[in-house]
Amino acid sequence: MSRVVIVGAGLAGLTAATDLSQAGVEVTVLEARDRVGGRTHGIEVAPGAWIDGGAAYLGDRHTDLAKTIADLGLKTVPTTMEGQSRFVLGHGRVTREGRFPPLSAVALGDLFDQLDDLVHRVRPGAPWRSDIADDQTAAEWAQRNLEHPDARAFFPLFLGEMMAADPADVSVLHMAFYLSSGGGLRYLNAFEGGAQDSRVDGGAHQLCRRLADELGSGVVRLNTPVYTIDQTARSAAVYCEGAMHICDAVVVAVPPPLADEIDLLPDAPVRRTTDRMAPGRAVKVHLIYPEPLWRERGLSGWSVNADGPLMSTVDDSPASGGAGVLTGFVTGRQATRYAALSPAEQRREAIAQSATIFPDLPEPTGFRVTNWVREQYSRGCYAALFGPGDWKLLGPHLAAPHGRVHWAGAETSTEFFGLMEGAIRSGHRAAAEILAHHQPLSS
Amino acid sequence: MSVEGISDIFGRVLEVGDVAAESDFFALGGDSLLATRVLSAVARDYGVELSFDDFAVAPTPAALAERIASVR
Repeated sequence: MSRVVIVGAGLAGLTAATDLSQAGVEVTVLEARDRVGGRTHGIEVAPGAWIDGGAAYLGDRHTDLAKTIADLGLKTVPTTMEGQSRFVLGHGRVTREGRFPPLSAVALGDLFDQLDDLVHRVRPGAPWRSDIADDQTAAEWAQRNLEHPDARAFFPLFLGEMMAADPADVSVLHMAFYLSSGGGLRYLNAFEGGAQDSRVDGGAHQLCRRLADELGSGVVRLNTPVYTIDQTARSAAVYCEGAMHICDAVVVAVPPPLADEIDLLPDAPVRRTTDRMAPGRAVKVHLIYPEPLWRERGLSGWSVNADGPLMSTVDDSPASGGAGVLTGFVTGRQATRYAALSPAEQRREAIAQSATIFPDLPEPTGFRVTNWVREQYSRGCYAALFGPGDWKLLGPHLAAPHGRVHWAGAETSTEFFGLMEGAIRSGHRAAAEILAHHQPLSS
Repeated sequence: MSVEGISDIFGRVLEVGDVAAESDFFALGGDSLLATRVLSAVARDYGVELSFDDFAVAPTPAALAERIASVR
């Protein structure tokens, strides 16, 4: 029997571990945190009522995720959005039907036309070969191409919501790639019929918990950061605090900035990060109420706001009842600032803003923050942000094995990059690579 | 300005084939994001700037053509 060590107990690592285990490989999963789940994280807001502090949404094109959900005996619930939305976009507070902001439709249409043109120029499986120059940031692109003030105002809000980026962080190529990889503008933006169609009933964190449980006791080792991977022609040795694991192959299933901090012996010929790469800029805030009080006032809970910290809010109340939850997304430039505040300041700002957006609601009874920007073992969320030149330099190497070391994680999938679906697809891919190349060596 | 011209815009934005004059944009899979792209195309082709609310009450090629004619 062969042995494989998996670094990282998020969706990618546990998917790879499950595939390998089912193929008869002996697996050990080393996880730096005191929990499994990676960028999924459950928060219990009332007894038995869980919400997602991390990745939450899925749509019908997320087929591998749907299969995992079904295999684990979990269910999905639709994201409900009925009622009026709130917009605070610099001209006071506006309440209106639907999710469309009170801005010039023609100006936004022109913005989306230009973005759609870029999306169609992405080469899906090999974005570094796209017909898009990789030397410009999205902020520079907007400066040159967006004329209408409404388009200029909406663009950073849109990029924050879609990919947790400030326009200055990402290259035009990364922006276009991300939008393409997630299924295009309409799909990535939409709730019903799009990438936010559903949630995992009871929370997406259950996926990794159940995958870990099914691997059996002792397979997943928590509180075990990996420092070094030393490989020879015959085997690999994975070093962590107080232990060394000898194996035939390794799956490194952590975000590239963390993977790059593991010492590789011999070193990989090419790095998988650059100093232009930025952490995904998202902080998730939860405003907790006894029940979804906005619904009885004809509101959906959806809001879009030009000023932070809460750039948008959405009704994420647990389907099981027990609480009403408005999730506030702090994204882009606001996330960097907000992430550095004290917990008391974070609370004060969010509660004050919620009173401006929803003066018809009482003060929330509970408040939670999941600060992904400061999360030591994620380094940002939704996913690493690639700056100018990064794709052309790193693209071909992100998923290319280094001897016995294979790479997984949401950043190694050109399909649904940065999403739960991408993470799961990368885990299946890494396991298949190992089963194809390494198992015969020692079996 | 023609109903056919608007049908062509619908078809291009929705990435579907022929769109009938009475087909409802939202029933064909359109949403507010795609609706803005119809309105930007209308502005380019016909020099008329309509709002999202204009489109919401006239979401077929025939109705939208009528709306455009009325404001030109």
